[in-house]
Amino acid sequence: MNEQNKNDQAPEDQRIQNLINSSIDGEINDIEQHELDDLLKNSENVRNLNKELQSVTSLLDGLPDIEPPEYLKSAIKRQVRLPVQSDADEKRSLAGGWLKPHWLRAGFALAAAVVVTVGVYEMGSAPISSRDAASMAGTVAKSSSLDQQGELLDVFSLDTGKLNGQVELRNKNDLFTLDVQLSSVEPTEMVVNFSVHGLEIENVSGMPEPEFAVSVVDGSIHLAGIGEQHFTLSLIRTSAAEYDAPLELGFYTNNKLIQKAELNISQN
Amino acid sequence: MHKDKDAALVNDCKRGDRRAMSQLVDQYQRPVFNAAYRILGNRDDAADATQTVFLKVFENIGKYNQEFKFFSWVYRIAINESLNQVKKRRHQQPLDDSQTSPWQDPEEKLDSERLCKRVQDAMMLLNDDYRTVVVLKHISGCSYEQIGEILQLPEKTVKSRLYSARQLLRKTLKSIEIENLGH
Repeated sequence: MNEQNKNDQAPEDQRIQNLINSSIDGEINDIEQHELDDLLKNSENVRNLNKELQSVTSLLDGLPDIEPPEYLKSAIKRQVRLPVQSDADEKRSLAGGWLKPHWLRAGFALAAAVVVTVGVYEMGSAPISSRDAASMAGTVAKSSSLDQQGELLDVFSLDTGKLNGQVELRNKNDLFTLDVQLSSVEPTEMVVNFSVHGLEIENVSGMPEPEFAVSVVDGSIHLAGIGEQHFTLSLIRTSAAEYDAPLELGFYTNNKLIQKAELNISQN
Repeated sequence: MHKDKDAALVNDCKRGDRRAMSQLVDQYQRPVFNAAYRILGNRDDAADATQTVFLKVFENIGKYNQEFKFFSWVYRIAINESLNQVKKRRHQQPLDDSQTSPWQDPEEKLDSERLCKRVQDAMMLLNDDYRTVVVLKHISGCSYEQIGEILQLPEKTVKSRLYSARQLLRKTLKSIEIENLGH
């Protein structure tokens, strides 16, 4: 099909089509409307053409809105680099430069598969190693040596006997960093419910292998390990909304919740 | 398509504000995806195109001329990117089954989806120029003036292409016996 098709028509046919299309789009003036009305009154062919073009327009207007893939919005936001880079962007560039659309889609598919196959608190069953976690492009990026700069928002100390340690929450621009030091003789797991705050995982670093495992389930990240643990979880705010609710943490040993914590995430 | 709000968000983006970027993505991701989908006829290709569009938009946000509407600029990039993909791939895949449909009754839904697929297939037979104006008019809901601004064409040319495209669609759909084509 090309421009030639329309030129095959007789001039009067072209005129009739223009009148009908103008009428369909509400772009017809009074004189043209009278002309079209006369044509419609006196010609069955014109009436048929009018009906058919009206139907084509209805069919096009009736095409359903298609739901974009769920991963798309967050994948876009994660990849975008603004021309004036904030400190947070500079940190992001340490880990994000290799991310491409296909990699992201594959990464999210892998992460979704992990969610299905890994039990929430089943620490002993096929945990995800930090190497696996690093391959989840868009979910948990490769480790990098993020510094601990930024405003200290809150600190939480643990001293349960079974599990001791401290968590510091810092913020710089849209990047929130949890610096975690834990000590335990039994398998432990820290769960951070991040998604309700409009946050996404930016990075997990400092994980000792092979004792450390990471999984992401329903907007929570589960970081499991044993012994002396020192790691950093970076979360980036991608939502425009402000959230005043504290960041919720849960600490588990042997699959049992032993301590809950709330860290003040508000900068006010 | 809120010009003033968009302009403010664009200015914030130029200062590196990621929340402003996030709002613009929230606002335009879906319409850009839908336009790309109707041009490309494939969900994965449309998602790839949409991501590339936004990367280009924000990569070049410093060059954006605010005398023009932001949405026109975004759509122009979206159309160009989609057409680039069409040229690269030149395959015409049918719609996948995951499209949503506004109809509820199962039998009616089946018929409606089949009808939508046929309309999309007919659109894919149009040349790129015709398909683009059809998408901007009927999917994106743009006026002649807005289409002209996006494609940088005179309104007269926009009308001419749109009318010709509809005429071709009429013939195509008639040839595959779309029952409710006016009779």
